[in-house]
Amino acid sequence: MVDRRKGWHRLTRSNRQKSSNANPANMPSFDQTPLAKSLAENLQMLQSLYADCADVVFHDFLIGEQTKAVLIYTDGLTNVEEVDQHVLAPLQQSLELQHTIPNIRNMISVLSIKLMRTIGDAVTEISNGNPVLLVDQESQGLSFGLSKWQKRSIEEPTAESVVRGPREGFIETLATNTSLLRQKIKGPHLKIKSMRIGRYSNTPVAVAYMDGIADPALIEEVMNRLQRIQIDGVLSDAAIEELIEDNPFSPFPQLLSTERPDVACGYLLEGHVVILVDGTPSALIAPVTFFSLLQSPDDYTDRYFIGTATRWLRYLFLFVSLLGPSLYVAVVSFHQEMLPTTLLLTLARSREQVPFPALVEALLMETMFEALREAGARLPKQIGSAVSIVGALVIGQAAISAGIASAPMVMVVAITGIASFMAPRFTAGIAVRLLRFPMMFLASFLGLLGVILGVTVILTHLLTLRSFGVPYMEPLAPLQVRGLKDVLIRAPRWALRTRPHLTGEWNKYREAPGQRPSPEKGDEGE
Amino acid sequence: MIERGKISAGQMAIMLYLAITPTAILTVPSISFQYARQDFWISPLWAGTAIATVFVALRLHRMYPGLNLLQVSERVLGRLSGKLIGFIILFMYLYLDALVIREYGDFVVGAFLRQTPLIVVSGCMVLVSALAVRGGVEIVARFGQLFLPAFLVFFLFIILPIIPDLNVTFMLPVMAEGIMPSISGSGILQVWYSEFITISFLLPFVADRRKAAKSCTFAILAVILTLVISNLTTLLLLGELTDKYNYPFLVVARYISVADFFAHLESLFMAIWVLGVFVKICVFYYVTVLGTAQWLNLPDYRTIVFPIGFMITFFSMWMAPGYQELIFAIETTVTYYQLTAFVVIPVILFCIASIRKQVSGVR
Repeated sequence: MVDRRKGWHRLTRSNRQKSSNANPANMPSFDQTPLAKSLAENLQMLQSLYADCADVVFHDFLIGEQTKAVLIYTDGLTNVEEVDQHVLAPLQQSLELQHTIPNIRNMISVLSIKLMRTIGDAVTEISNGNPVLLVDQESQGLSFGLSKWQKRSIEEPTAESVVRGPREGFIETLATNTSLLRQKIKGPHLKIKSMRIGRYSNTPVAVAYMDGIADPALIEEVMNRLQRIQIDGVLSDAAIEELIEDNPFSPFPQLLSTERPDVACGYLLEGHVVILVDGTPSALIAPVTFFSLLQSPDDYTDRYFIGTATRWLRYLFLFVSLLGPSLYVAVVSFHQEMLPTTLLLTLARSREQVPFPALVEALLMETMFEALREAGARLPKQIGSAVSIVGALVIGQAAISAGIASAPMVMVVAITGIASFMAPRFTAGIAVRLLRFPMMFLASFLGLLGVILGVTVILTHLLTLRSFGVPYMEPLAPLQVRGLKDVLIRAPRWALRTRPHLTGEWNKYREAPGQRPSPEKGDEGE
Repeated sequence: MIERGKISAGQMAIMLYLAITPTAILTVPSISFQYARQDFWISPLWAGTAIATVFVALRLHRMYPGLNLLQVSERVLGRLSGKLIGFIILFMYLYLDALVIREYGDFVVGAFLRQTPLIVVSGCMVLVSALAVRGGVEIVARFGQLFLPAFLVFFLFIILPIIPDLNVTFMLPVMAEGIMPSISGSGILQVWYSEFITISFLLPFVADRRKAAKSCTFAILAVILTLVISNLTTLLLLGELTDKYNYPFLVVARYISVADFFAHLESLFMAIWVLGVFVKICVFYYVTVLGTAQWLNLPDYRTIVFPIGFMITFFSMWMAPGYQELIFAIETTVTYYQLTAFVVIPVILFCIASIRKQVSGVR
């Protein structure tokens, strides 16, 4: 453990102080220790490391009934049948007299065999589930790629469902996830760099990008930020996200998390970088803009008119979900003259019995709605429906007839709720949902002016935000006219000739010119 | 340089447009009408100071690339007198910013939030602007860019539904007494036009400087066009009543009624107008902060954003006892000293600079 930063030392030191008899004190020393010639010495070292590890098995046997050897594997991570058949059986029945490492290597019919020279290598291999063979009088060991991890089958992503298009989603196993990317982009241009993050968890992390499309400076920046991470363990990609984002004090996500390999590949082809973390069924995409949080794969599988209309609907309801309750509060408490007389009368009549000012009413109902949503998300599915029925009754009918809330308010809350679920990315929707609470307060203090000031602050924040150097509001501000065709509208495929400005500038064109289908072109072919 | 941001020439033009139009639309018509009567829609065409200031700023920047007015004055006049001139210009910016805040505060309190204290309205605005100014010139420019389409759409949204109600006879007779009334009506507008000197502070950050002259011309034309249209609409709708209102254009907005449902849109007008004023305040606030930091040789301007914000807020409170006095001040004294600081001083600077250049060229 060389080259550790100051803070890291502090972490390890405090651990030592807490548990004086625990392993960490002697753990760092084994890493670069070379394997000894004597098997007993190696075994003693490994056994002390794996003391009290019931799942690590040390199986000693004789090769060809003469040389002492030990096979070490982790129970449950190793394919035991294959080890019996392809490692143990040939070795025990061996008729050779010289049991050197090269000889043994030839005896074993396993594709992936690795040579190990240090204790650290052995520990890594054992942790990965690969069985390790140590032979007496050899200062090298062998490991065999016979691990067998438990993994979930590939299923349809639950949080990002689509009407049309591929239905497979990432799973918790990194190797499967990288294979999903490779299945879609079949060529050497898809590069996947791997590293390990987490001092104790040793979590494998892969960084995927397209060679020749992604900006090398971006790749370097991503790698740098990942390598800076010093943490005990990485249990989900959210930890990575929080440790590498540009502005840690923002409610808006600066990396996109997706469960869909096709979305990840779409971004790869636009020059973005994809980070895959073992143990998380999703990929992180960097850099992202605000507008990429409002895009869904369905925009591209639908006809482009429909894709465009859907996008506009989403933008509209983004504003509704942010401003719905605050505008209602502002109009009801300050700007009654804005409403047509009949509507105003209807509103006044329904608010007649309500004992609260508009702000309290709005806060009450919105908080209630958020509580119901949170309860619905955490409960087992069978009980979830009960919550939604009770919720509908409580915040809907009963609140009105009890005179706690007015019918228009319930409508506003319901519409806002629906609107906030329209954001295709959950993280974007939840940021906007949170921000509507301060907006409600502003609306009740300063009316429409307060709403405008609130919007100004949010916009200023969004304009200051960057994701890996890319301005968050690109291509709207700073304006990139070329980029608008995939933001304001969803232009047809043949018009989407160029990649986005700041990520795709390295390799500008994604299509040959003149891809628009037309009858004349069909005739040429005949 | 203490600002590392870069803007494009187009962004600069948008910043200027939004820094000048929103308040000009609101305050100018009723003052301008008193001098020019039915010809006051012609007044915006006499944009002499706009052209002069833009010309001077561009030429000075060509002579001293990368330097703004304050730095140029130090180069031309020497350290001490340069700093002194710089102080006058800076103080004028501080004053101007406070003036805009006051105009905004009086407008909001007078027309909408009658019971809210002025300082709350002004203070909130300064606070919000401070956040944007801290982000630097890039953020202010992007905000303008983001907001310009909304402003234009809204402007048309007020003008278009009103066209059937316009009465063309209100503008007759055109130029009955020659062009003099329209010119005297444009006097007050020169205050707004002289604000074009601000490009001197923005030019050092413009990435594509070749387009700068073109963009500035475009900005001037856009401002003139917008003012002519808004003045004309006000005139044709209100006629002789124009100067009876503090904010004639607000009355225009109030007049809209689409399908008997969209009526009384003045709150919406306020909303959009506030965003426009926000850009204006940010631009001048930014120039004040940046200039002060340069004047004091500070390493970073972000540290003085909030202190200067406080000063602006209190200046705006001390500016005048009420709206009528404020308008009176704008009509009389402010016109003179703003024109002195933004037109006369730069023009003299330019003359001295070009003479010095000539002399040194001869040598």
